[in-house]
Amino acid sequence: MADVDTDPAANAPTVALARQVLGDDVLEVVEHRGETTIVVPPARIVELAQALRDAPDLRYDFLADITAVDWPDRVPRYDVVYHLLSIPTRAVVRLKVRAGDEGEEQPHVPSVTSVWPAANWYEREVFDLFGIIFDGHPDLRRILMPEDWTSHPLRKDYPLTGFTLPEPHWGGQVPFGEPLPPGIGQQTLRTPGGVPGDIDPEK
Amino acid sequence: MQLDEQRTLETESSVQIDATRREDTMTINMGPQHPSTHGVLRLILTLEGETVVKAIPEIGYLHTGIEKTAEAKSYFQALVVTDRMDYLAPLSNNLGYSLAVEKLLGITDAIPPKAQVARVALVELQRIASHLVWLGTHALDLGAQSVFLYAFREREMILDIFELCSGVRLMTSYIMPGGLQADLPAGFDAKVRDFIKIFPARLREYHDLLTNNRLWINRTKGIGPLTAEQAIAFGASGPVLRGSGVAWDVRKMFPYSGYETYDFDIPVGTNGDTYDRYLVRMLEMDQSLRIVQQALDRMPEGRWQVDDPKIVPPPKWQIATNMESLIHHFKLFTEGYRPPAGEVYQRIESPKGELGFYLVSDGSARPYRMHVRGASFANLQALPTMIEGQLLSDVVASIGSIDIVLGEVDR
Repeated sequence: MADVDTDPAANAPTVALARQVLGDDVLEVVEHRGETTIVVPPARIVELAQALRDAPDLRYDFLADITAVDWPDRVPRYDVVYHLLSIPTRAVVRLKVRAGDEGEEQPHVPSVTSVWPAANWYEREVFDLFGIIFDGHPDLRRILMPEDWTSHPLRKDYPLTGFTLPEPHWGGQVPFGEPLPPGIGQQTLRTPGGVPGDIDPEK
Repeated sequence: MQLDEQRTLETESSVQIDATRREDTMTINMGPQHPSTHGVLRLILTLEGETVVKAIPEIGYLHTGIEKTAEAKSYFQALVVTDRMDYLAPLSNNLGYSLAVEKLLGITDAIPPKAQVARVALVELQRIASHLVWLGTHALDLGAQSVFLYAFREREMILDIFELCSGVRLMTSYIMPGGLQADLPAGFDAKVRDFIKIFPARLREYHDLLTNNRLWINRTKGIGPLTAEQAIAFGASGPVLRGSGVAWDVRKMFPYSGYETYDFDIPVGTNGDTYDRYLVRMLEMDQSLRIVQQALDRMPEGRWQVDDPKIVPPPKWQIATNMESLIHHFKLFTEGYRPPAGEVYQRIESPKGELGFYLVSDGSARPYRMHVRGASFANLQALPTMIEGQLLSDVVASIGSIDIVLGEVDR
């Protein structure tokens, strides 16, 4: 990337702590437009998150955001990006892990829900839109897309328009009793016995 | 025969379900077509008598793929989709996006003073407008119908101001990367001053209607409690966080657009209940009015856009007379500008809380990735904590007190 100086001074305490905790596992430190990004391996993200939250002089207690970026031509393919904020000390930092081996359909990243409860919905959103599995997440379900959706829309190989899903992709339009392809439209399929796991209005 | 078999099956399955459920609880569905879920929020509530023991919010009914859409547009065009997220505060979205793009371009310091001051005045008016909708609908949910009518009367005045500036009442796209779409119109100052003159008395009327109203206090005091620790843990921001007693406002902590030069206070609650969140927003409207007043008093003359035809279109008269301007205009609208590769995160204090724009550029003319950290999204995550253990009739009060906009939650 352009405009990169390694080892910035802007958020030196955080970078120093990350190096102290992870040693050589701090893969990269990037400074761009006054913002610090620390890149670490996925396996150690929880350890670092815990250390940053509990460090008495930093106290990153507020997880502002988790999102992901898809780089289809790169291995590992995905960036998972964490924006941290400290309410007591006003420090900010961006953490980043890179995940996804070649040909790996759904890469795994450890969940940080044990560190910040806020990660629950953020990680569900990333799972829903990118298909990244967060290991240890208490309730990893789709959050924005319908539960019977089959792919992950924010991936770069998912076209903006003209995408033909196996018909019918939206269970609500299925004539009653007609069989569906396996795994499609299960949530909205209406059968005499009701939908497995759905709430029965009669009871 | 077949019917009999079916009936047996049904009975068996219902017995199975009953065995796993507690017999004294009932699960009900609330929304997405429920008038007081402020859009299309769906809640699955498990009740024990009238007490909520478990609440599961289901969202996504208004998911429009705005982040995906923005990836297919130039930086200039993507501004328009940001309006549609928090549709009660489009100017705040415009500002957050514009600041992020400006940071990406590295032109943050080049924004002319007039644009800076006008932006502050406009987003503070927007904050009042957004809070008025919240006030009206929140009161309506709890049965105070007249507040709704009064609140919309004042909001109308603000929308008239926006219409004067941009020609549009809601989806303004008026604040754009590099400044404003157009100069502030003649009559802007007078119209805003009219509003400033009228509004304090109107705000007092709302206080008269609700703040000491016994019914209002009964319906909101102690309802939907959220401690400061819980609010921070769930990533709640804005009035929800401040209502819980945390003095945190992005305008003060990470000032943008010159907020550090304005004199205003941050109202903070103590109990973290619905009443405190109500008071925080009511007092915030006072503070916003103060900021608007200061912005008007110091409104400088001069340019309203950066002096860079690569980023903002040249004026129309130049296009007709100047070859270079014509080329700039053509290049800007066919191709757009190319920020250097990199990533930025810009946070602003929207009426709902911390609105964050995460933009990734790969050096091309379209955002490689635009992610929006919707304030309502994070705030809504705290809803189950607020309503579990409370009465069913108070669920509506708690939802209203978060001030969610589903357009921003689902994006």
